[in-house]
Amino acid sequence: MYRVFLYDGTFEGFLTCAERILSVDIDIEKLRIENKSTYQPMFFDTAVFVNANKGISNMLKERIIKKADKNTFKKIYYCFLSEVQNKEMYIYKYIKLVLKQGKKVKYFYHDDVVNFVEKVSKSVSREIGKYMGLMRFNESEDGLLYAQFEPVNDILVPISYFFRGRLANFRWIIHDKKRGKLSFYENGRIRFLKKADLKTAFSNEDLLYQNLWKTYFKTMTIEERKNLKLQRQNMPKKYWKYLTEKK
Amino acid sequence: MDILEKLQILGAAAKYDVSCASSGSKRETNYGIGSTFTAGICHSWTDDGRCISLLKILFTNECIFDCAYCVNRKSNDIKRATFTPFEIAELTINFYKRNYIEGLFLSSAIKNSPDWTMEMLYKTVYLLRYKYQFNGYIHVKAIPYASLDLIRKTGFLADRMSVNIELPSEKSLKLLCPNKTKESILKPMEFITKVGEEERNFVSAGQSTQMIIGATDDSDRKIITLSQNLYKKFKLKRVYYSAYTPVNDDPRILKVEKPPLLREHRLYQADWLIRVYNFTADELFEKDENLDLEVDPKVMWALRHLDRFPVEVNRASYEDLIRVPGIGIKSARRIIKNRIFHSLDFDDLKKIGVVLKRAKYFITCNGKTYERHLIDTAPEKIKLQLIEKRVAEQKVHQLSFFDTETFGSVITGEI
Ligand code: SF4
Repeated sequence: MYRVFLYDGTFEGFLTCAERILSVDIDIEKLRIENKSTYQPMFFDTAVFVNANKGISNMLKERIIKKADKNTFKKIYYCFLSEVQNKEMYIYKYIKLVLKQGKKVKYFYHDDVVNFVEKVSKSVSREIGKYMGLMRFNESEDGLLYAQFEPVNDILVPISYFFRGRLANFRWIIHDKKRGKLSFYENGRIRFLKKADLKTAFSNEDLLYQNLWKTYFKTMTIEERKNLKLQRQNMPKKYWKYLTEKK
Repeated sequence: MDILEKLQILGAAAKYDVSCASSGSKRETNYGIGSTFTAGICHSWTDDGRCISLLKILFTNECIFDCAYCVNRKSNDIKRATFTPFEIAELTINFYKRNYIEGLFLSSAIKNSPDWTMEMLYKTVYLLRYKYQFNGYIHVKAIPYASLDLIRKTGFLADRMSVNIELPSEKSLKLLCPNKTKESILKPMEFITKVGEEERNFVSAGQSTQMIIGATDDSDRKIITLSQNLYKKFKLKRVYYSAYTPVNDDPRILKVEKPPLLREHRLYQADWLIRVYNFTADELFEKDENLDLEVDPKVMWALRHLDRFPVEVNRASYEDLIRVPGIGIKSARRIIKNRIFHSLDFDDLKKIGVVLKRAKYFITCNGKTYERHLIDTAPEKIKLQLIEKRVAEQKVHQLSFFDTETFGSVITGEI
């Protein structure tokens, strides 16, 4: 028999939920936190839905940063972006530990919860890092840049903020094809939108630059050093689908 | 000639240049196009596994000089091409906004005169920064013999500049680059260091250089000693080593069948030891010799100094810890932080990230060795255990072509 707390799937919702549970101190063995949209009710469980609340989630965020540091909070956020089973309970336990012990938890190599958060957040961070380089934009006739990707983790938000700094002077869309959502940037502002059927027509100029890039890419290989295994190791096949140079 | 063909020729001509790093820049602005990212980003990997980060091209491959090892030398009968500043600016911006690249690495052969060439490089960068308002990363070569004034003007627009040292000794330089003198290389290098110290916003990501390995008979000791001096005297950010790929059949060049990649790899490791681990060249080498190809330079050093081991992990200083093969900077720091809480055993070390396979011959935990009798083993026997049987080709590439610092824990190059 579990007490189940449901949240709306957002990070804010999750933090609100976590804050609620922290304040009532429930036996951790009898507790579950689940995304409402994937939750399958069990007969003996009691489930409550916790509404996302910006104020409450911010409070918890500040508390974590004050007790530990920004980096620790970032790990929590990144870990949340993963789609690893049961991440909620791990993160909840981690938050509890951080609020007690501060940032030194990162040295708790023995601790399964710490190990989980370290490992998962690192893999999310690595994926964000990869896409910083491997995202490809195509330009349409009216100058809109369009990129599509299918990330393992739900990283549309952080990656969009990265490109806001980089492509500030342009209008662009980043489309997460796997989750059917996208970010649209214009005039300094990013909007996150649910799916849309996008027609993607590239300009002739874009085709020219695609071609130039492919040529350059081929040219840069030093035949004497050819090493396709290493290439695949650094740039696994799963990324190739949207890579101009690999098409 | 159309832009595609130019890109082919002038990209191919630049591809042996190894410095792909695009990190460490502090350029901060909030207008215009682009940003630099302190960690450096790879945008693709070529079929040889090297990271593509920058659009690396020559302005021209027409050259008035005749360096023995160079494809572009005057006496070679090859296809020649020259960009215009406008063409390069357009390429850079259009590649950048599609996220193909992190920025531009502009080098050049010497056409007409050193000043003419440097002026063209300056014009290109000027165009990018002012007309296109490009804030991304730019690395420009300083041309030997070019006027210092031009170099100065360029340096205020670039994130990084580099003058290639080309070869590890003056003797080799004389032999293979009759047109270049030691002064023609060191003078601009010194100048860039000096201005960089006096002025803000001058090559804010620092200066680097590159030398060719294996075309001459210079020893690794000579090479690493030279690098050490370059780091000290000119405060260079990086020295890059480039295993010579035979492109010309020239009697002055040592016969090489294949580029000496493993040697290049070992040099990067030794370089790392002098930059980050406080080793000196004189400690690493006993005579005028090369690095051991079978084991990494730290192991080579440790085996020659077994009297300094074993090191007791629970008491040793940071300086002693980082000299243990298998313990890197990161694990040494972790050891020190952790042993405050409780004394460490071998299991803890493993979790911390120590490579016990190597470290076990050189450490004790609370007076105990990992397995019995390990410590008394003779150096030759330890070495036999530590020989990297097939230093996987891939590993060789990886270390040498990444700016190892920029990738933090992913590829630390720690040894
Ligand atoms: S000056 Fe540069 S481009 Fe010209 S031959 Fe020498 S190395 Fe080659």
